[in-house]
Order: sequence, then structure tokens, then C-alpha cells
Amino acid sequence: MSVELKSNDFVALADIALRNPDLQHAVGAGTRGGYQKRAETMFAHSREHGEHMRQQAAEAKRRALRKLPDLLETAEHNLIANGWQVAWAEDADEANQLVLDIARRHGVESVTKSKSMLSEELGVNHAMEAAGLRVVETDLGEYIIQLNNETPSHIVAPVMHKTKAEIRDIFVRELDMAPTDDAEEMVAFARKMLREDFLSADMGISGGNFLIAETGSIGLVMNEGNGRLCTSMPRVHIALVGIEKIVETVEDYATLTQVLPSSATGQKLTVYTNILNGPGRDAEGDGPEHSYVILVDNGRSQIYGSDYAEALTCIRCGACQNACPVYRSTGGHAYGWVYGGPIGAVLTPLLVGLENAQPLPHASSLCGSCKQVCPVDIDLPRMLLDLRRDLVRDGHSKAGWDTAMKLWAVGMTSPARFALGGKAARVGQYIMGDYMPGILGNWSKHRDFPDFAPKPFRQLWAARKHSRVKERHGRA
Amino acid sequence: MAARDRILSRLRQAQGNPHPLTPSPMKREGETHSGSADANSPSPLVGEGAGGWGGERRRMLPLPELSADKRLECFASEAEALGCVVYRVSRSEALEQIMDLLDGDKSVLSWAEEELPYAGLHDLLASLDVSVAQPDAGDVRVGITGVSAALAATGSLVLESGAGRPRSASLLPDRHIALMTSEQLLDDLETWQNAQQALGYPAFKDASNTVIVTGPSKTADIGHQLVKGAHGPRELHILVLD
Repeated sequence: MSVELKSNDFVALADIALRNPDLQHAVGAGTRGGYQKRAETMFAHSREHGEHMRQQAAEAKRRALRKLPDLLETAEHNLIANGWQVAWAEDADEANQLVLDIARRHGVESVTKSKSMLSEELGVNHAMEAAGLRVVETDLGEYIIQLNNETPSHIVAPVMHKTKAEIRDIFVRELDMAPTDDAEEMVAFARKMLREDFLSADMGISGGNFLIAETGSIGLVMNEGNGRLCTSMPRVHIALVGIEKIVETVEDYATLTQVLPSSATGQKLTVYTNILNGPGRDAEGDGPEHSYVILVDNGRSQIYGSDYAEALTCIRCGACQNACPVYRSTGGHAYGWVYGGPIGAVLTPLLVGLENAQPLPHASSLCGSCKQVCPVDIDLPRMLLDLRRDLVRDGHSKAGWDTAMKLWAVGMTSPARFALGGKAARVGQYIMGDYMPGILGNWSKHRDFPDFAPKPFRQLWAARKHSRVKERHGRA
Repeated sequence: MAARDRILSRLRQAQGNPHPLTPSPMKREGETHSGSADANSPSPLVGEGAGGWGGERRRMLPLPELSADKRLECFASEAEALGCVVYRVSRSEALEQIMDLLDGDKSVLSWAEEELPYAGLHDLLASLDVSVAQPDAGDVRVGITGVSAALAATGSLVLESGAGRPRSASLLPDRHIALMTSEQLLDDLETWQNAQQALGYPAFKDASNTVIVTGPSKTADIGHQLVKGAHGPRELHILVLD
């Protein structure tokens, strides 16, 4: 019931993306813009201060996760005190069933939804539609994607991969919009279309950026205001929250809710920094009558006990996607599941199984940019390397690769064999040019093979040593 | 409850295991995993308080010590950079400004009068033929609210929902008018959080919804071009009353 899993087709999907000029233009502009704005905002005061805030944010998340089970119980207690009804789900099926049960209990027919990556993991829209509910995504990017039957390609900018002209065509085709190239007119059109849905929906579904244990509150960030509408206008509100979203105190929340938008879009705060504390109180003119939190595991407790636990500290800002040379070239869909970019290359194998996402740990140049921009300093390159090790350990490496690596080891462990190998490679290149056989061809197909130096280093070194010796003898 | 117990027990089990590998980059020499059975086992999540950094808690946006005037200047320049319009006005100027912004509209969404820093505003509006609509009226163009605080470092307004303070007034209309006084202005989010903590976090417990509004609603989803007024107000007018 969740997003179709195609991560093992990464190479083919990346190839398609590389040949799509619109996508290349849109993703290039979007990621570079985000990367630039992040640096300007995080380091506005000083680089030292920005780095300090990253570590402060990282430690806030790490401390929360170290105490995760206790804090989940504290959060549950305080959520209930705030009037929330709390439910727990081990996996997607359980979470979706809970959503459907709540909808049935309250006679819900129509649902407005604000952006939630967890809901993409769960495939909750499909589940609701299959049960006959009308579901409308209300984040503008998500709305466009829903109209075009796609999935989000970026954590914070779901339609980053589309140009303005492509979006115009979708509105014209699906909603009979009068053709225009003016983004403001297009936004105004979507606002009008969605306003009726907001006012008539029976239930709103949101995610949750932060679950504040100390007070039983959910922190949501957004710029458009759709998340406020989804959580304020309908009778029923459900927040789908991953168990790793926990923060211990409001003080930690104050740090994280600023570091998140600074890293994501270069904003000091999002337009709406929304704090949700359960159903509307008595005598309040609006707000939901029934508020639910569904705490979702869906594989997170397995990661918690592993070497990859720090992946759970991710606050989903998308900065690693904006910084990644691979993501910048391929966009998010090539990664074949919910999360693209470096964090996706780590999370996807952990959540869906390494055997179902074998190419992803290799979808990185290990340049380290992702770790450098991460607001909570997640060591993504380390985890990508460890996942590559796991691939070999579990026997998922490509046929022929083991033999090739063994041959390589034979060549590298003896100076004589190394020299022989070097000579053979020179002769090989002389004969074959840039063509390389077998799996090596993946490398040479898109690149020129670098020319060998006129003289190998070993010869230069030997000659230098020789002349030094002579020099010293000459002086003596 | 079965799911709950299974999830918590899985987490506790994982917590109790000595962790096989990889101290986190945050790890300092000699530190141990807090809930660990084996006190010497490193964990990726190790590092109470600090590790590789000072551990001193800082505010995100350090401000120098500000006089009241400078604080208001800082607030106005931040808010204006986001596209808000900030006015410093007397009460009579405020009414004039509100009528200008209503631009002939006869209906307005509004917080209850006792929640606004402008006693008698609703009567004055009524005398000018302007009535206050029900909070769920989706087609009213202008909304009037007060604020419970404002933040200078980010040009933000803090709005707490409650009786007489409907969320819709700052959300449904195209044009949001916020009335505040300069006494309500704080330095930054951390100052507000400290004040909240001292009061026992009413904005996180008594109000069902607290929203920190930083500029007019906006989106960049279409061709990475910034457009105001996505779903919330397209215009935000902030009237600072003398």
C-alpha cells in the first residue's frame, strides 16, 4: 500500500533523469538556491556560531534519542493531559488502519492533508482512497504532484523537479485553468480551488516536525498556511508522527525549530511556526473537536539498536539533498522510494531492506558535503561506507566484483606485482583507449580515462633517491 | 496497547545492548552510553552535554543589548524585509489606517474586543458601518487580531488561540491586521521561551494552538519563484500603538 519501491533500478532511473533537460534545469536551480541560502543564514552571525548551533541542535536530538522510550512515555502522558488521543502503530498497515478507524468513528467523508513525508512512507492516501474517502493534498507542491499522479522528489520542496511551464500545463490539463505564465496567477488559482476543500473537509491530517515531550505538543513548520488550515478548520485532526521526532524540552524545541528552516530554506523561522496542543478548548471559536496523535514505528525501532541509530536524528530539512552532487544531477525520484539524496541513500536500505536498495549506498561520491551541511551533523558518509560493507557481507555485491577485488588485493600487496600491473595497464590503455571491459565499462562509458603520467612515480622516486645518494657522496 | 508495548520493549532492549561499533563524532573520551548495560560500550548516540563543542547553550540569533527604541527598529526592519508593513500610530491614526485597509469592506473577522489592545474598537467600527463576522466566514477579506508577544530578531508575532481569539482571523482573510503595543516586544524566540517557562508554558498547555507568524503566507513551489498569499494572508499589516 505504500509508494512503489524501485530503488534497485537507481541506475536506470538516474539515466532517465540525466536525459530530462527540464528536470536538470529545475533541480539544478532549486538545489543551488537552497544550498546558497542555507549558508547565508546559518553563518549570518559567524561561521563559528553557525557550527556551534549545529552541535547544539545535534546534541538536543541525540539526548532525546538516548532517552527515547522514557520520553515517549512522558510525551504520551502530557499529550493526553493536553486532550490528545494517542495511538501507536508498528507498521504502515497498522497506522493506516488506525486512520481509517478514526475516519469511520467520526463519519468522515473528505480529508485535507498537509505535507508529511511519513504519510508517503505509509501510503495513507491510497489506503483512504481505497476506503472511499476524498483526500486532497494542500501543500501547493504536493497538490501539483497529486494532480499529476507523482510522488514528492524533495523533502521540503516536493515539486522541485518541475519547471513553471510544466506546472502550468498540469493545471491547464487537470483543472481547466486559463493558461498563464504568471506564477502569482497560478498560486491565486490554486488558493481558490483549495479554499473550498479547507472549509468543507471533515478531517485534517498533518505530520509533525517535533513532538515536545515536556508539554505534550506538536511542532509544525510551514510557509503557506495550509498546515494551519488542515489542523484548525476540520472537526477531526490526526497528526502522524514518527517516534524519532521526539524532543525533550521546549528549550530544545526553540533551538531546533530555528535550525530547521535555516538549513532548509535559509529562513530564520518559517512563516508559520505552529504549536499544536490538542483539541480546541471550551469557548474557543474554532479548532478541532477531536485531536489524535498516531506514533509510528515503521522500522525505526530496528534502526535504533543498530550502528545507524544517528540516522534517526534527521530533522528532514533537505540540506543534504541540496548539497549532494548526485542528487543535484538526478533529483529525488531516481532513488526509487520516499527519501532521495544522501539521507535517502541511508534511510531507504534501513527501512525497506538493503537487498531492496542495493545501488543506493553507492549513489554517492563520498565528498562529505552532506555531513558538512547537516544541521544535526549526521555522519552520512560514514554510514554510506558501512552500508557498502554490509552489502558485501550479505553477499549483495555484483557478480565478478569479489574476484576483481581479490585480484586487486593480489596486485597491491607486492611491489613486484604492483609494478607489473602498472605496466599491463599502460599497455592495456594503449590498445583499448577509453574502452573498459565488463563492469569497469560503467565507469568509462561516461568519462575519459585519465592519461597515465609519462613516468610512473616508482621510477621517479627511484631516480630521485639515486641522485640524492650521489649528491651526498659528492659532498663527502 | 499491544503495539505500544512492543515498540517500547524493542527500544528498551536496543538501549540495553552494548553497542557494537562506532562512537559518534560527538563522543568524548571516556563517555558511556546512558542506558547501557555495559558501561564501557560506545554508542552512536553517546555524549551527554557536549562532545567536541563547548556545550554552552546559545541563542540562534545573538542580539546586542537593545534599548526599547532600537528593539522596535530591529523588529520593524526584520518584518519589513519579509514583506510586512509596520506602522507606529496613535489610537486615532490606527482607526484611520484600519478603515483605509478595509477599503470599503463592511465585514471583518476579528478577535474579541477585550483581546485587542484597543478598547472600543468594535463600537467604533460599528459606528462606521463595519460589522464583525463569524469566525468561520471564509470569504471575509480582512482579519484583525492582537498578539500575545512579538519577537524583534525575526520580526515575528506570537498568537495564542483561546476564547475570543479565533485562529481564523489570522488565517482565512487575504489581509491580516495585527494590533500590538511596544511593551509586547521581546528580543527573540528564546526570550519568549524563557518567559513561557517561568509561567509554566501556558502557550503549550492552555492555548490549543500557538502560532508564531513570521511574515505573510508564501510559497516558492512554482518555478522556485517567491509568491505571497499561498493559503494564509497575502498581506500582513502590523500596527504598533503608542
